[in-house]
Amino acid sequence: MTESGKPMNIVNENVVGSDSGLQTIASSERTEVDTDTPPFVFETIDLNVYYGDFRAVRDVNLTVAKNEITALIGPSGCGKSTVLRCFDRMNDLIETARVDGRVLYHGLDLYGPDVDAVEVRRRVGMVFQKPNPFPKSIFDNIAYGPRISGMAKKKADLAVIVERSLRKAALWDEVKDRLSSSALGMSGGQQQRLCIARAIAVDPDVLLMDEPCSSLDPIATTRIEELMKEIKDEYTIVIVTHNMQQAARVSDRTAFFSVEVNEQSDARTGILVEADATEKIFSTPADDRTERYVTGRFG
Amino acid sequence: MAEELRSAFHQELIGIQEGIASIAAGVTELIPRATEIILNGDLEGAEYLILGDAEFDRRSIELEERCFQIIALQAPVASDLRAIVSAIKIIADIERSADLCVNICKAARRIYGHELDPSLRGLIQSMGDQARVLFSEATEAYLHVDAVRSAALRDMDAYLDDLHRQFIQAIFQSHSGDTVDLQVAVQLAVVARFYERIGDHAVNIGDRTRYIVNGWVPEHPYPESDNEPSTPQLIAEQEEV
Ligand SMILES: Nc1ncnc2c1ncn2[C@@H]1O[C@H](COP(=O)(O)OP(=O)(O)OP(=O)(O)O)[C@@H](O)[C@H]1O
Ligand SMILES: [Mg+2]
Repeated sequence: MTESGKPMNIVNENVVGSDSGLQTIASSERTEVDTDTPPFVFETIDLNVYYGDFRAVRDVNLTVAKNEITALIGPSGCGKSTVLRCFDRMNDLIETARVDGRVLYHGLDLYGPDVDAVEVRRRVGMVFQKPNPFPKSIFDNIAYGPRISGMAKKKADLAVIVERSLRKAALWDEVKDRLSSSALGMSGGQQQRLCIARAIAVDPDVLLMDEPCSSLDPIATTRIEELMKEIKDEYTIVIVTHNMQQAARVSDRTAFFSVEVNEQSDARTGILVEADATEKIFSTPADDRTERYVTGRFG
Repeated sequence: MAEELRSAFHQELIGIQEGIASIAAGVTELIPRATEIILNGDLEGAEYLILGDAEFDRRSIELEERCFQIIALQAPVASDLRAIVSAIKIIADIERSADLCVNICKAARRIYGHELDPSLRGLIQSMGDQARVLFSEATEAYLHVDAVRSAALRDMDAYLDDLHRQFIQAIFQSHSGDTVDLQVAVQLAVVARFYERIGDHAVNIGDRTRYIVNGWVPEHPYPESDNEPSTPQLIAEQEEV
């Protein structure tokens, strides 16, 4: 509770080296709820995202709690990735994208005027569907972020960060003897854990994962799932997955999105149907649409 | 828009539900048979009913295995999960109720040749009737996944409990009036208990049906009635068949 009362402190303490950029975030508009701030890392308020004239998601009100794994599920095109990209402002990189409504990050307006999107992306790491290691050595893949963000002043610091990140990603033992070999020579599952290690290396607060296991075999998938559970004490994780069993296995809360079709215009809009404790969603969901989706009775 | 994506799986769920309703209907028929057997001292009928129990056991096991298969292969969730979990428990309730009918028949053998006075006979008939009505209602409520009918079973069971109490009273009266000897009195007390237990199983089936409908669970855990009043030691022994 003490932690959640002063959310920005947590973030600040996590920063190893330079804290440049932090000021921009910290000085931005803060909603006046200092004493009773709920332990939400993210809170969206009437979030609407447009691509040009097309409204991809409508009126999403979703909270993401600290040190929890939140799963976003729903049929293709319901806007899971779109919502996820609001949490690290990746939508900024899509020219036509426009975000309406508010996204609070520890109570701060993430889209506030003086928030530095680059700094946001350092705090909020993203792991993608397909592992995307750089064509560099294993070591350099991990060291890249800390190096450019100036986290490590000395080479020795860098080695410490690389080892720590690889250990957290449960990869150290497998690669410690070949840190200088190319990351492209690793298996898909290893590459994905490398990408997680790379995201962890810059000491983020949140990890966003967009279908991180969809190109992995069951064993590699289990590894990643175990890893997520191991590291959730230190991070807040939001995962998009099409594998409902995966959502059931790893997440604490599940948000179900669906597509609403307008009868007249045939426009398809993503909506958040229901978000609740994962065990509730998979045993007694409140909404009939959730029920039909998770049991495979939907159209 | 209502495209069914897992129709084979959902067909199998319906198949299991119908299979369960079918053995439950079988038990509903066993109850009045057992009542007639004990009232008429029908040793041959008792023999048949007891032998027939193997078939209930076989069908129960078969249905249970189909449930386990679904859990293993289909990873059921939400209402599907509730249906399967409840099915497994309901199968046990039905199977146990068939055993209780068998127990009534075994008691019938033990009191064979003893005359029962009319008030006791009347109460046995009433308990048998009420237990049958309860079981038949439980079966219907389950088959139609009807939470309201399921909930009504608790009131119906209260009446059976009442008959059970009256019956125990009547046994004491008959015994003190020396019309029933101790052996028979004890057997009759146990028989009353078997009917009462059948009622409890019917209530369980109703409760589990309500769980399927909306996840409802009773506030209090199920009464562990196997060590309840009067002659607990003896009853436990009797039920261990
Ligand atoms: N860059 C973009 N430009 C235009 N439209 C987009 C863009 N990205 C997504 N969309 C549209 O927005 C809607 C939501 O897409 P989004 O990718 O968020 O869905 P999703 O739930 O992640 O789907 P999937 O499960 O297939 O990944 C879709 O109709 C999609 O076509
Ligand atoms: Mg997506």
